[in-house]
Amino acid sequence: MTGIMQDIKFYDCRVVEGSSSSIILDNGKIEEISKNFTRGAGVRALCGGSWGYTAIEGEIDLKHGVEAASKLAFSMNANTPKEAIELAAVNSPDIGNLPEIRVDPRNVAIEEKVDLLKDIEANAKVKGVHSTKVMYLESEFKIEYRDSYGLECAYELLNVGFAVSAVASENGVYQAGRESRFGYGYELFEKENVLELAGRAGNTAVELLKAITPKGGEMPVLLDQELAGVFAHEAVGHASEADLVLEGDSVLEDKIGEQIASPLITIIDDPTLHEFGYYPFDAEGAQSRRTEIIRDGIFNSFLHSRETAAKLGGTPGNCRAQGYSMPVVRMSNTFIENGNAKFEEMLEEVRDGMYLIGSRGGQVNTGEGIFQFNAEKGYLIKNGELTELIRDISLSGKTLEILNHVTLVGNDLKMTAGRCGKAGQLVPVSDGSPHLAISKALVGGA
Amino acid sequence: MYELARKALKMAEKAGAEEAEIYYVANHSTGVNFKKDSLDNARDRFSEGIGVRAIVNGAVGFASTNSARELESSVEIAVAEARVRENDPDWVGLPSNGKYPTVSGIFDKKVETLGLEECIDYAMALVEGTKEFPGTLPTSGGFTRAKSRQLILNTNGIEIEEESTAVSGFVDVITVNGHTSTAYDFAVSRSLDIDFLALGKHASELALKSSNGIKIEPQKTDVILHPFALSDILEEALAPSIDADNVQKGRSGLIDKLGEELAAPELSIYDDGLVEAGIETSASDDEGIPSQRTTVIEKGVFKTYLYDSYTAGKAGVKSTGNGSRSSYTSTPSVGLRNFIVDYPQTDIIADTKSGVFVNTVIGAHTANSISGDFSVEARNAFTIKDGALDKPIKSLMISGNAFELIKNITGAGLDVRKVGGIITPSIRISDMSVIG
Repeated sequence: MTGIMQDIKFYDCRVVEGSSSSIILDNGKIEEISKNFTRGAGVRALCGGSWGYTAIEGEIDLKHGVEAASKLAFSMNANTPKEAIELAAVNSPDIGNLPEIRVDPRNVAIEEKVDLLKDIEANAKVKGVHSTKVMYLESEFKIEYRDSYGLECAYELLNVGFAVSAVASENGVYQAGRESRFGYGYELFEKENVLELAGRAGNTAVELLKAITPKGGEMPVLLDQELAGVFAHEAVGHASEADLVLEGDSVLEDKIGEQIASPLITIIDDPTLHEFGYYPFDAEGAQSRRTEIIRDGIFNSFLHSRETAAKLGGTPGNCRAQGYSMPVVRMSNTFIENGNAKFEEMLEEVRDGMYLIGSRGGQVNTGEGIFQFNAEKGYLIKNGELTELIRDISLSGKTLEILNHVTLVGNDLKMTAGRCGKAGQLVPVSDGSPHLAISKALVGGA
Repeated sequence: MYELARKALKMAEKAGAEEAEIYYVANHSTGVNFKKDSLDNARDRFSEGIGVRAIVNGAVGFASTNSARELESSVEIAVAEARVRENDPDWVGLPSNGKYPTVSGIFDKKVETLGLEECIDYAMALVEGTKEFPGTLPTSGGFTRAKSRQLILNTNGIEIEEESTAVSGFVDVITVNGHTSTAYDFAVSRSLDIDFLALGKHASELALKSSNGIKIEPQKTDVILHPFALSDILEEALAPSIDADNVQKGRSGLIDKLGEELAAPELSIYDDGLVEAGIETSASDDEGIPSQRTTVIEKGVFKTYLYDSYTAGKAGVKSTGNGSRSSYTSTPSVGLRNFIVDYPQTDIIADTKSGVFVNTVIGAHTANSISGDFSVEARNAFTIKDGALDKPIKSLMISGNAFELIKNITGAGLDVRKVGGIITPSIRISDMSVIG
């Protein structure tokens, strides 16, 4: 082992310990109350140009973990040697900016949580809704990080949230409405007015029964804050992740300093905000920091890990992991900055097209710069006015074209919490935007 | 923790559980991954944990842990949670009387003992394959091997232990000369019968063929969906409505449709936990119900929903062996086993005068899982002219409805493929809406 360790330039360990609880209320019945406790560690070792990674669960022997990861790295490098990987230096992070929690959810009795879910459900069950599901989630975890350069840091985070869905049906047509909020502290439920949100989910489901499916095609569109946020995250954020750039899988490769978007567009990733994508330091011990991905339409920066920062020139701080999985470059809280357009102005600008609201998810091909998102609902815009309610609509297109087709940016930025999947790992994120008017986009419908 | 499973079952009874279940699973996986055309990392992952279901007065509590030290408290939490809940009149009981079928091909000793050097060779084969078509580069991908061991015990006498192995290869490719296009290929198997070189080769060839795409007019036309595209759509837009839990909760588009002719008369669909070497094959499902073959659609007629033990008890029928868990941290819920699409096969592209062939789709998870409506972006799509693939299509959206889709099937290819648990040939659908 000593022989091998001489060739290991770097290693680090993340020990993650925590528990998560969930309560599910389905059609008026508690369907599940569950609690999960896990402890595990992820250990990385670097030998020349190869990484070795070992994940261990349960009782952790870190020394053994470091040896196992080192052996993997050593064998990989011996088998297929390549250029040595350099890592950008990081300083000891400051952990002073943790989100404040006024009401600790661990001090709230389970019966009280169940009662809250029942209230949420009652509010979602508006006339016409025949099926509801409400979920409460609470998770606490502690992360301890240390590396072979002597960096040692730790933090604890506790978050809560809920999701409600309501289904309405009529003559064999089923439509759903959904709302969810995630954040810190049990006060979230009051702050976010969850009972009103539940009612909104129910109303959406019922309204959508009467919505029409419009004819698709190319047209001007107005995106609401949630869908525009999904665009910022999926289409722009992912393509700016430096690991994808290094793999040759990003349309934004070689674009730094270039005007790639309308000058109205500024896109930020900021893990220091107390939104759902918050962290004080990343999975490599690097201090979290705000990054301007696009400033006034000019592509400004990729998002980096220690490895990509050294290779492309940049600052680390966006390397994240789910639990003790191997960290990869990820976003945090990603959003388009406020402009100054008013909603009415934007309707007038779009004039004849569609207003697309909310998101049922999306996907992106970063290499070709192509994306596809489904809106939850929308309205036709005729003569600058909102008319019929529409459903089953999707938006697709080329990232760089859409960025250049933005004609107005609203002043009503709103963030939405969610989970982002990459490399088989889910991490909490948030994304947001003000309303966006776009002169030309491909909308899929009937 | 394996040795603690039996003890945990006793602890649950002692803590006051009327019924209890211990679900133990251990997994060891090794992956070798590349970025561009060189190896980037090797990963070893050991995971092991126990999930406890405790039942008190017809109410279920659940807790799980991967720490032996926390096992006793997890058992107590599960019992305490069950006590908080009201009696569930639909709860019948945990499974009992497990008489298990024999399944084969799910464990390969060679996979279990595979060394890192061999894993590296398989990963490099994926990369080498892409080099057979100059003008492309892999972006990322890798080889993984895994071995799992699962043990289910309950107080009704269920005791079933199984071991299985799996290997997989994935490769993502991009063209590097001029018009950018991408493609991927992957395969999952129980043993080392995957041609990794061919996966790399196919991905490269497809990426090259896809570049320089044309624009097509919006139209309704014959669309042939490759197994990759079809399985994504079936999984997101059709499968949720077959799930008995969604049916019982009013969230399925197939409520009250049993016995109806819902699909093309030559289409049959089976859910089969017993397929030789299937990725979803095992003697038992994830709660101790013996696996079986279930006819979901027979010659166009819809025969049954899929049940786990709870939903079966609620409906007063027998479980179809579809109790499924993604990890020890979750309770069982209804999940597909090997899902087999069966339709008379021909050389389907040659039999198609004009239309569109779609290799993969993005955005299938945005489908409406109740109504079956979907609208997805088709990737690596081609026009079909006089029985042959003609030109690549630059950008294409296809939209439709899963229940309409199974009605409008007019043909199937000879290219049956195991896409994870979904086993299907390419399928031709008439009159599908495409927007170029």
